Amino acid sequence: MKVLDIALKDMLRSFRSGFALVMMFVVPLLITGIIYSAFGGLGGDGGFDLPVTRVQVVNLDQPGPQFSFSLGQMLVGFLQDERLAELLQVTEAADEANARAAVDSQDAGVAVIIPPDFTTAALAPEGRASITLYQDPTLTLGPGIVKGIVSQFVDGFAGTRIASGVVADQLGQRGVAIDASLMQEVAMQYGAWAEALGRSRGEGAHPALDIQPPPSKTEPVSQGAGMMGPIMAGMVIFFAFFTGASTAETIIREDEVGTLARLFTTPTPRAVILGGKFAAGFITLIAQVVVLMLASAVIFRIRWGEPLSVALVALGLVVAAVGFGLFIMSFLKSTRQAGPVMGTVLTLSGMVGGLFTTGIPNLPAAYDTINLLTPHGWVLRGWKLVMAGGGVGDVLLPVLVTLGMGIIFFAVGALVFRRRFA
Amino acid sequence: MHKNFGDVYAVQGVNFDVQAGEIFSLLGPNGAGKSTIISMLACLLEPTQGDALVMGHSILRDPMAVKAAIGVIPQDIALYEDLSARENLNFWGKMYGLRGAALRQRVDEVLGVIGLAERQKGRVGKFSGGMKRRLNVGIALLHKPHVIIMDEPTVGIDPQSRRNILDNVKELNQQGMTVLYTTHYMEEAQELSDNIAIMDQGKIIAHGTHDELVKIVGELDRIDLTINAEAGRVLERWQATEGVHQVSAENGQLTLLVDDSNVVLPRLFESASRGGVRITSVEIQEPNLEAVFLHLTGRALRD
Repeated sequence: MKVLDIALKDMLRSFRSGFALVMMFVVPLLITGIIYSAFGGLGGDGGFDLPVTRVQVVNLDQPGPQFSFSLGQMLVGFLQDERLAELLQVTEAADEANARAAVDSQDAGVAVIIPPDFTTAALAPEGRASITLYQDPTLTLGPGIVKGIVSQFVDGFAGTRIASGVVADQLGQRGVAIDASLMQEVAMQYGAWAEALGRSRGEGAHPALDIQPPPSKTEPVSQGAGMMGPIMAGMVIFFAFFTGASTAETIIREDEVGTLARLFTTPTPRAVILGGKFAAGFITLIAQVVVLMLASAVIFRIRWGEPLSVALVALGLVVAAVGFGLFIMSFLKSTRQAGPVMGTVLTLSGMVGGLFTTGIPNLPAAYDTINLLTPHGWVLRGWKLVMAGGGVGDVLLPVLVTLGMGIIFFAVGALVFRRRFA
Repeated sequence: MHKNFGDVYAVQGVNFDVQAGEIFSLLGPNGAGKSTIISMLACLLEPTQGDALVMGHSILRDPMAVKAAIGVIPQDIALYEDLSARENLNFWGKMYGLRGAALRQRVDEVLGVIGLAERQKGRVGKFSGGMKRRLNVGIALLHKPHVIIMDEPTVGIDPQSRRNILDNVKELNQQGMTVLYTTHYMEEAQELSDNIAIMDQGKIIAHGTHDELVKIVGELDRIDLTINAEAGRVLERWQATEGVHQVSAENGQLTLLVDDSNVVLPRLFESASRGGVRITSVEIQEPNLEAVFLHLTGRALRD
């Protein structure tokens, strides 16, 4: 009972603080709102709209008779995929001169010129071929997207060539005859795997961790809403950790003003006092996360995902934030130290955890691994999975890791505080 | 009890009894060890050696029972300034185990006792220093403790609030509460206490009633003087003057213990004149606790 009394007292004080309320509820929504507005704002689908880039593609590829397919044609098909329709409007040009002229006259933003020997060179052991991108110099975002997509295709094909080479070598060593149809089969299988890998990385899943949701569960989301969700998730996580640390800071604050010592003179065990502080952080954070999720769902039309999975990820976030906050504060002597240290540690750990780069696509895979050094990164991972349609089974690993990290941080923090006030 | 902080011996073999229903004062300068003793009795610190019994409960073996029996009024105001007076009392009452109607009734009573009934809904942060002091006292009374422990509750407050607190202490004592009071103000100990322990450097150097303590210095008078020169110009000469027992100089003031001030004072004036020093003020005091401390330690009982 006293645990709740202490928790309610702390919460009453928190919710009476204008600064705390602003930091808990207003700032996360405000920052997300600024990003939201900066990218075109209050569009009909609730996200922001990237301008569609007009692309002229010239396919000069002429594969030899030994090939039953054309890589150039595959690239054209890749660019014309309906899933890219929100980003690209692709038209096939008759020849290179027409394509370049379209860009010069600003009828197109980018011209993609596929060379005549593309298939032949690409499949030859030492072959080289270059795709030319001719772009409107006044544009940045659209050509960047086209470059990224074409690079993804070319990287995938380079991998195909390496995979085919390895298969050919190994089968050759075992005396197995290799024909063109077998090589095509290997190339197709590798292509399918690479495509799936690219998709999983786009959803924030690390290729070394097979925890991406089944594609069948993935709901199609608009480009805007798909980007706003992780950005808002990053803000929720960052400010939840801020609240966790602020709640733990009340222990130091109460020590300074003498109310903690006074609490120790009452017939209340120290574990109950610390438990009350933990409960205050826990309940406050639940309120904060729920309010931010509901508000962002209404304002930015973010679809957070399946409720039970969302609840599990939120639970992991709350426990990790309370534990991490107590851990940091247990090493600080005064509230004068707490301000700058809290700001620095939370910002750095948030950066390492990837909270501020959620809207940036195609980050290196190594960055995904670095994110997982922090509880922030694991919470973000869980949230991305939930927003991509993941169920309980999919988020179980990140949730368990965040819970574990939170409990360990809490135990260490509680131990340090216990020794300090012994 | 003993208490060491590393090489610092804050309390060295302190031993005393407080009778139920009395006001017992620990009197001594800052750093004498008074607050350390209070912290140990309030179960905030464990003695390095020894134990204490409060209402029969050991501070080491049964600290929860000790805490339930005492009400501690800390030296500094310890309140939640963003809560109202009533919210503060409600919270602290719960920490002492009060609930429901009993809590509401006791909070109303305490608000009346400390004179804050009409300001009960006001935020404590907007209270005057005196009002905060009264609320600080009120919290310790919520659970009707057997023993009230007050650690220098009058430090840094205005005379009117100080008077209120001293009157409160007497009232609480008249209601049957035992009061353990620490102070470095001789007048407070003298006015309030049934028994006084004088402390210095972690030890009790004298213990008894006011009259018993004053007898230590016998019939000596105390003279406080200021002069228009450095104390060193008269110190040795006055120490050698007939009828002077002790001379100390501190903060520009000289304090002397003498047999009979009527006889000794003319000698002091004459001695000063011969040395070219002018006495600018004189105050003669009957024997008191200040004189006892001076007699026992050779130093004045000041900050």
